[in-house]
Amino acid sequence: MMPASRRLRLVAAPHLHGGRAVPRLMLHSVIALLPVTVFAVVVFGLAALATIVVAILACLLAERAFAPPSALGDGSAMLTGLLLGLSLPPALPLWMVALGGFLAIGVGKHLFGGLGAPVFHPVLVGRVFLQAAFPAAMAQAWVAPLTGARATELPATSLALPFMSPAAPYDGLSGATPLTAVKAGDTGAPLADLWLGTVAGSVGETSALLLLLGGIYLVAMRVIDWRIPVALLATVAVLGAALHGLDAERHPAMLTTLGSGGLMLGAWFLASDPSVSPMTRRGAWIYGLAIGALVVVIRQYSGQAEGVMYALLLGSALTPHIDRWTRPQPLPEGAER
Amino acid sequence: MRVFGRRPAFSGGIRLPAHQRREAEATIRQLPFAPRLLLPLRQHAGAASTAVVRAGDEVFRGQLLARADNDSAVPLHAPATGHVLRITEQPDALAGTVQVIELAALAGDTQEYTGGESHDPDRCSADELLAAIHEAGIVGLGGEAGSTHRRLVHARERAVRVLVINGIEGEPGFSRVPAMLARHGADVLAGLRCLRKVLGVERAVLAVETPDGAAARNLLEAAPGGTLPALRVLPPRYPQGAAGLLVRTLAGGAVDGHPAFAADEAVVFSLATVAEVGRMLSGGLAMTDQVITLAGEGLREPGNYRVPLGTPVGFALEQAGMRPEPDRVLAGGPMRGQALAALDRPIVKGATGFVAVAAGETADVPASMPCIRCGECVAACPLELHPAELGFLARRDEWQAMVEDFHLDRCFECGCCAYVCPSHIPLVQMFRTAKAQWRRAQARPAVEAAT
Repeated sequence: MMPASRRLRLVAAPHLHGGRAVPRLMLHSVIALLPVTVFAVVVFGLAALATIVVAILACLLAERAFAPPSALGDGSAMLTGLLLGLSLPPALPLWMVALGGFLAIGVGKHLFGGLGAPVFHPVLVGRVFLQAAFPAAMAQAWVAPLTGARATELPATSLALPFMSPAAPYDGLSGATPLTAVKAGDTGAPLADLWLGTVAGSVGETSALLLLLGGIYLVAMRVIDWRIPVALLATVAVLGAALHGLDAERHPAMLTTLGSGGLMLGAWFLASDPSVSPMTRRGAWIYGLAIGALVVVIRQYSGQAEGVMYALLLGSALTPHIDRWTRPQPLPEGAER
Repeated sequence: MRVFGRRPAFSGGIRLPAHQRREAEATIRQLPFAPRLLLPLRQHAGAASTAVVRAGDEVFRGQLLARADNDSAVPLHAPATGHVLRITEQPDALAGTVQVIELAALAGDTQEYTGGESHDPDRCSADELLAAIHEAGIVGLGGEAGSTHRRLVHARERAVRVLVINGIEGEPGFSRVPAMLARHGADVLAGLRCLRKVLGVERAVLAVETPDGAAARNLLEAAPGGTLPALRVLPPRYPQGAAGLLVRTLAGGAVDGHPAFAADEAVVFSLATVAEVGRMLSGGLAMTDQVITLAGEGLREPGNYRVPLGTPVGFALEQAGMRPEPDRVLAGGPMRGQALAALDRPIVKGATGFVAVAAGETADVPASMPCIRCGECVAACPLELHPAELGFLARRDEWQAMVEDFHLDRCFECGCCAYVCPSHIPLVQMFRTAKAQWRRAQARPAVEAAT
């Protein structure tokens, strides 16, 4: 009865798909980071641009080396590179940036099994390596915002040769970041500068406002689970306000705490990465809360000025356990059909 | 997680894109008789029935072709006047083989069906109505296709208190609910009276989703009187029409002053089943045809059709204007429908519809990527299983852990997890394979013990 030529495809159900796709999620994340990226280049000039470009190229190179060529198309290596570039001090020697990027993908991602498998965020693996290997550079390679020569000159340290002492000392470039100032007992930067981002700091971490906007974009596009940044930032806000209330001399005001350091970048773009965060909604609350508490504790009570990176790493280490504690319980028998 | 209000009965499920409703969807067209009808003796979930006709017999429309010798079997009636060409053994997915009656339908306009004795629910006893439902060979039309008689008997045994009429469209793009509400309103009310009497149940709830809310309200307002069901209009969410989930949703909340009830106090019948019970009992008819949706871009005239049982799928689709070379044809809807390899198989009792997917209608599914552990599937699973973990276990062939630790046997393959997966992992397909492997592993020791 039917023409014999008719060939029907045998495809498994469901025959509809909601349209979420990994490359698209990566693309949305890059879009969300564009404002802060442009802003970083405006404020820190060539140094920021060079750091970002080198970080991305190093990540793409490592992805090409460790994964099949098709993997470059999913955009995840590109995003890792961009995030790493944004999280580093602007005047860091570029060879260190390249090494960090290569290790982020090579060790942080592919040693753990590739896309989706990392236990720790690859960006943090790259960054923690740099922090451990080159503590002096990581602590001092800051650039003052909006310097006159930023558009035409790279800081001398950026072009330092691998494993050589930089041509110029770091502290010749600029003073401290707001957090190191706070740690040293100063009041830090004015609140407006802090939130706008016209302060010294990592390439893309200074503008809390633009990062917040990017985060809201990610939530609106349903790229990330809003519970994680909300729980994280709320915890930091509450604990920060409490500490400030107890001792306003030693502890910065709540808005200073929220607007400084890597907190916004970490909360919206690193903590929320699906691979390193819990799979359940309840778990997301616990995870965000734990990281938020760790941020405050490390910032206030450790020798470090900034605690976001370590808080995120510790939070990720908790993820498998949180997933186990919050394993979904099936509805009672008979709920189906 | 809800910040305000009562915790929902189940937290998963998905919002499918709003389906554009067309005027034609509230209509039902009559499909002509195919020259040859194929009638397997096991049409539904249950035992096969026993043929009472032989090759060469002349039969008239509505005449008994096969009787039910078993509790789970249902009688089968001739969908058309004609003669029995032959009775053959055909392979069957569940039982190995099944007998199939091949019927040559008489051409022309001689397919009159006068029906038999009418059963008025107000004058017949509950047992008479129950017997009539059995004799009419009715099966559930909500997709599960079990004997309606048997379902009623079981419901009577466990003394249910609430009758739930499931007016929730089971699949996107299907439109049997608006068609039934618009064209079979009187039958729905008659069927409701009948089922109420059989079950001895006072309370009834009609549940529909928002797009059908107005039609349901109109039907109840225009009803001539008597005890009307409470109406619950739910915001659309797939797959809340699954009977168990629906009962959970309805049981929790008080409706119009009606108190809440326990989930095990309710029995669910689909709107289509209720309508057909009403239609057949008042006309003295047997189940010889049913209303199905024919959908998809591959059809020029998609919509609802009343099709004689045994009509080959291909014939029905041709009548609905199938364009040449469809990409695939689904038995069922886009979320749960199974792609058919051939179109010569017949439409059997309980079929809900078919979709002819045109080439290019759906984007090609990209190759699946590794799981990124986003947890979307965990949030989407209506039974609150753990599709991601099940997926990891399936990759390692750990069928036992899937079933015993992660309740794979509970999965009813609604497709929500695969629908939301950004890595396009074919989770449902993996779960089907795992279930089959698990069943095989379970059967093996028994076979070994027997030999």
